[in-house]
Amino acid sequence: MIGQSRVAELEMPGAAVEGVSSRPAQSYWNESWERIRANRVGLAAGILILVFALIAIAAPLFSAVLTHFLPQTIDLDVTFHPPGKPNWLGTDELGRDTLTRLIWGGRVTLGVAFLTVAISLTVGSSVGMLSGYYGKWVDDILMRLVDTVLAIPAIFLFILMSILFRPNPISLAIIIASVGWGGVARLVRGEVLSVKERDFILATRSIGARDFRLMLRHLLPNVLPVLIVSASLGVGQIILIEAALDFLGLGIQPPTPSWGNMLTNAESYFFHSFWLVIWPGIAIFATVLASNIFGNAIRDAFDPRLKS
Amino acid sequence: MTQPLLEVQDLRTVFTTKDGIVKAVDGVSFELLPGETLGIVGESGCGKSVTALSIMRLQRPGKIMGGKVMFKGQDLTRVSEYEMREVRGKEIAMIFQDPMTSLNPVFRVGWQVAEPNRIHQGWDAKKAMTSAVSMLQRVGIPSAASRARDYPHQFSGGMRQRAMIAMGLTTTPQVLIADEPTTALDVTIQAQILDLLRTVNKDFGTATILITHNLGVVAGMCERVIVMYAGKIVEAGPTKDVFANPKHPYTWSLLKSIPRLDEDRHEPLKPIEGLPPNLVDLPSGCAFHPRCSFKVERCSRDVPALLRVGETQLAACWVTQAGTELKGA
Repeated sequence: MIGQSRVAELEMPGAAVEGVSSRPAQSYWNESWERIRANRVGLAAGILILVFALIAIAAPLFSAVLTHFLPQTIDLDVTFHPPGKPNWLGTDELGRDTLTRLIWGGRVTLGVAFLTVAISLTVGSSVGMLSGYYGKWVDDILMRLVDTVLAIPAIFLFILMSILFRPNPISLAIIIASVGWGGVARLVRGEVLSVKERDFILATRSIGARDFRLMLRHLLPNVLPVLIVSASLGVGQIILIEAALDFLGLGIQPPTPSWGNMLTNAESYFFHSFWLVIWPGIAIFATVLASNIFGNAIRDAFDPRLKS
Repeated sequence: MTQPLLEVQDLRTVFTTKDGIVKAVDGVSFELLPGETLGIVGESGCGKSVTALSIMRLQRPGKIMGGKVMFKGQDLTRVSEYEMREVRGKEIAMIFQDPMTSLNPVFRVGWQVAEPNRIHQGWDAKKAMTSAVSMLQRVGIPSAASRARDYPHQFSGGMRQRAMIAMGLTTTPQVLIADEPTTALDVTIQAQILDLLRTVNKDFGTATILITHNLGVVAGMCERVIVMYAGKIVEAGPTKDVFANPKHPYTWSLLKSIPRLDEDRHEPLKPIEGLPPNLVDLPSGCAFHPRCSFKVERCSRDVPALLRVGETQLAACWVTQAGTELKGA
């Protein structure tokens, strides 16, 4: 046996002793989590997004229990009702309850945003991983593809797509993601290029690991922090893009409510019933702001060196 | 004569850089006998590490341009990538210079030590972890079971190197390549790690290739030594003989440039004049001749071959091959 008899004699001052190791293992993830928790504003932003998401998911429940309206129920007797009872946030030109439409609109808007982020991250990180890992011609081909995608003027693509297909939340997510993945691919590629040069990748190769294992098991967890940050910042951006498309009439079509098309609608009645603009505006503003703050908070948490 | 375990024949590895082609390993041949410890010494950039990486075929972005690496009847430079993966980590394991960076920071140490067996034996996580813990214990990690749940940054440098050695040994490979395993560690830890490597070599019978630029390490660890300079082997032989009676001026100069306890202390140390050569543009003839104090006219013209000089040694030097003794100037 190595050790046993030798351990005692090899053990030198400074080497670990029993007892010291009984403290809980502080992983990178644990430490990052601790830092997020310490950042009150960031945490609040994260909670806000979570609350909005939960409300959106539970929209039918809110309709049934809280507001007692459906988003598309027209009641011409109560058009432009100011905020009050029973329409807490007022009604629009067709007498639809604004709070109900806001909740159902959040379902669409947030749904599109999260789906878009999920698609861009999946496609973008796969492409970036392959590109960065294999390099050479694989990298050349994939990165030229990314360049091409990023060179397409997005707004014209969106206009074209929405003419060709009637946008619904899923097709809209795919359309926005079809240009969004390029940035993620570049980001991941850059990160992979730097991580793959590190010694532990060579060491892992030296134990006979396959490319697949290296990419998924060893590289991916090391690029995960950038992915998470990019996802969180991405939600905000995509809500803005989606709102802009809805506003231009290229996104979600009425009568399905979304925060963007609620704004479009409200624009005509701004001087008459300003709350129709205020509520979706606040919703968009708050979500985007929260997403940016939370994104920055997790970036700081993952890489404390960034925050001086 | 025992059958060599690993036989490197005329290995050549080149790197293409923007300044030109670098012959990092230029016609290196040696063999490794079962159970022995072979030292490869030389200064930075002489091709020691690239030789080791080429054996494992991990020399990217370098290219193996020629030669053979015979191991168990197959030429490792020619087997498929699939067969090579079966050799890596199972038959030949490697330990790297900097234990600080050779463990993946996001995984627990035990998980990483268990990984070779999961890859090669297809063991499930639990079985591989059990054997990883017992291996960590054998390399002298105290309370290994709980330490295995630690992350690399919770280990000290010496412990990480122990973990790397454990990782290399879990599959009981026949060859262990240690690439400057102690360079990044402080002196007391160095001694512990070398001690461990010696024990590993004895207890597991693992043949070890020890790459280092520290002549003291070679003297204490290796039965045979290879001295490399500018991508070529300039001298090879039993450590005892090479140290007592070097047959190549480079080895001679190296030994003169380090302090020794067993010699007259009043004699000043003699540094080697000049700088290591630019590998893109090597001097003509023997690459060492511009720095050599024994050079003759032929040295700048013809490249000397590695030939037997004296009883047990090989040297690539026109001067000693002609029978001249190297004596201090």
